Amino acid sequence: MRVLLVEDEPAVGADLAAALGDAGFVVEWVRDGAEAAFLGDTEDYAAAVLDLGLPGLDGLSVLRGWREGGRSFPVLVLTARADWTEKVIGIEAGADDYLAKPFAMGELIARLRGLMRRVAGHLSATVTIGRLRLDTTRMCAFVDDRSVRLSALEYRFLEVLAHQPGRPVAVHAIAEQIYGTADSGDTNAIEALVTRLRRKIGSELVETRRGLGYLLPDGSA
Amino acid sequence: MTTRSIRARLLLGGGLAILLALVLAGAGLNWLFQRHIERREVQSLEAKALELLPALRLDAVGRPLADAQPTDGRFARPASGLYWQASTSAGLIRSSSLWDQQLPVPRAVAGTNWRLRRVDGPFGHRLFVIARAIRPDASGRVVVVQFATDDDASAATMHEFRREAALALLLLWLLLMGAAAVQIALGLAPLRRVQAQLQALRRNSGARLSTDHPREVAPLVDAINALADARAADLERARHRAADLAHSLKTPLAAMAAQSRRARAEGAPQAAAAMDSTIAMAGAALEAELARARGALARDAGVGPTELLPVAEAVIAVLERTERGGRLVFTVEVPAALSLPVATAELTELLGALLENAARHARRAVRIRAGEADDTLVLQIDDDGPGMAEPDMARALQRGRRLDEAGPGHGLGLAIVTDLVEASGGALTLAQADQGGLRVLIRWSHRHDAGYRPRQ
Repeated sequence: MRVLLVEDEPAVGADLAAALGDAGFVVEWVRDGAEAAFLGDTEDYAAAVLDLGLPGLDGLSVLRGWREGGRSFPVLVLTARADWTEKVIGIEAGADDYLAKPFAMGELIARLRGLMRRVAGHLSATVTIGRLRLDTTRMCAFVDDRSVRLSALEYRFLEVLAHQPGRPVAVHAIAEQIYGTADSGDTNAIEALVTRLRRKIGSELVETRRGLGYLLPDGSA
Repeated sequence: MTTRSIRARLLLGGGLAILLALVLAGAGLNWLFQRHIERREVQSLEAKALELLPALRLDAVGRPLADAQPTDGRFARPASGLYWQASTSAGLIRSSSLWDQQLPVPRAVAGTNWRLRRVDGPFGHRLFVIARAIRPDASGRVVVVQFATDDDASAATMHEFRREAALALLLLWLLLMGAAAVQIALGLAPLRRVQAQLQALRRNSGARLSTDHPREVAPLVDAINALADARAADLERARHRAADLAHSLKTPLAAMAAQSRRARAEGAPQAAAAMDSTIAMAGAALEAELARARGALARDAGVGPTELLPVAEAVIAVLERTERGGRLVFTVEVPAALSLPVATAELTELLGALLENAARHARRAVRIRAGEADDTLVLQIDDDGPGMAEPDMARALQRGRRLDEAGPGHGLGLAIVTDLVEASGGALTLAQADQGGLRVLIRWSHRHDAGYRPRQ
């Protein structure tokens, strides 16, 4: 598992490199934005840990460069600023998670593993149901090739329905699969989830069968 | 003039100037009218005198005699108000209207031109008198001829004229004052417009005064705009300084954390633990200071308006990437055009802190609702978590406390939020949500009037 570490501060970088190495990753540590941009574009990494305050090319520009170049490996952003404006900008630039300095090393490792778990385990990159296409590595959906960003929950909901395209899945079955357990209160949560999801991908792509549940129309009908 | 109002100053000055002009005009009119009346009286008396003058002669001892008398009947009626009298040092003759009275003889009547004067005459009347000397024969002896008419009638006319003129001039004064007031209002209108735009500027620091003001006001407007630009630049610099400070202090803190890990690895766990707690304290103090600085900046930056929906969606997009947020459904019930009186950066901060907190406690769902009712904007964030007991709600709103002191997270939770809400003139309350979790309610009343509405 190769991880690209981009951090200009020597002490923090050395500490991170050592900790990531201890956690079993193969770490490549660069201190400079331009070099990071080049490596990310040309090498294959399982993930990247990117500090936003970099000399040369700043972290956000590096990240945007990767995403525009079609690089889809998960990126954990490190920032000294804890404000939400920067988090929003970071996520919009294509970050998958953020962590504010100073951080606990254990949390960073856990988050990084979480990011990599999301990507791993999906051999087939895309599933297509009618006009809807699910990208299982980036956890995003495309409707008529328009990219839609989904939350983990929304993605899992679609994934559950995608296993049986054209056939309704009962609400309690959906709740069980996406929450692990289900109770009576979850019906409302699923309903809210569908409302939000329909707003993102279009209401006709998730159909309601009264009393039966929800289904994804498979396009052949 | 000590008055602080330009309008009052202009009105007072204009009123006094107009009043002075009208008083002078009134005095002039009075004088002209009086002269006109006197001339008419003189002409009338002179015409009557011409009937007497040719008929005058002197007797042997120098007493005046008249061969014929003026024909006007009023000379014959006693105390009629029309009199004549011719006198020499030796004696006098007079009209019957004088009865046994006589007109006082002026001491020196030099020329042969009529001279006029006013005297107190017989029968308690004030008289208008013309007098001249004539020499009826070659002896050179002088007869003083006087014709007099009652002045009361013309005095009454004058009096009436003065009253009517004064009334007319007063009306004119009122009319001119009205015109002056209208002119002053027109003249001050551009300033009122500047004032209205300044109100908008105060509500929204991004607004500027428009540039279509009259030439006289334009320099003031330009100066205000330049000042606003400078202030915005200062605020931006301050914001950046705060961010730079955060960066320059937090990076060394992270480096210290690295040292602490090394110390622990090399068998000094107590030293490492002490370092860790010091680092945590420094980090918390730094966050508190940054939050305070952000609150102060928000206060200075003025208020929005910022459209709520895009900011809420952006913040939710961040939260949906997190481990916890990804497992939740965020329901957004916000009208598309709704704006809140908070600047974009501050609204992002506010929603970030509130939604992160809600996500930390929610079981399945977080619901954001906003709307406008009874002249109040309401933002409501519900979670379906365990909720909070009443005493805890009161404690949570105290300064410097977090809703969940034990939970992870770098914000100060509600402390930042209450700072930001207060800075924008809102009020925050806690309540129980319908699903049993915590409900955070923020209200902005319309006292800030229409400033938060999206501009078209």
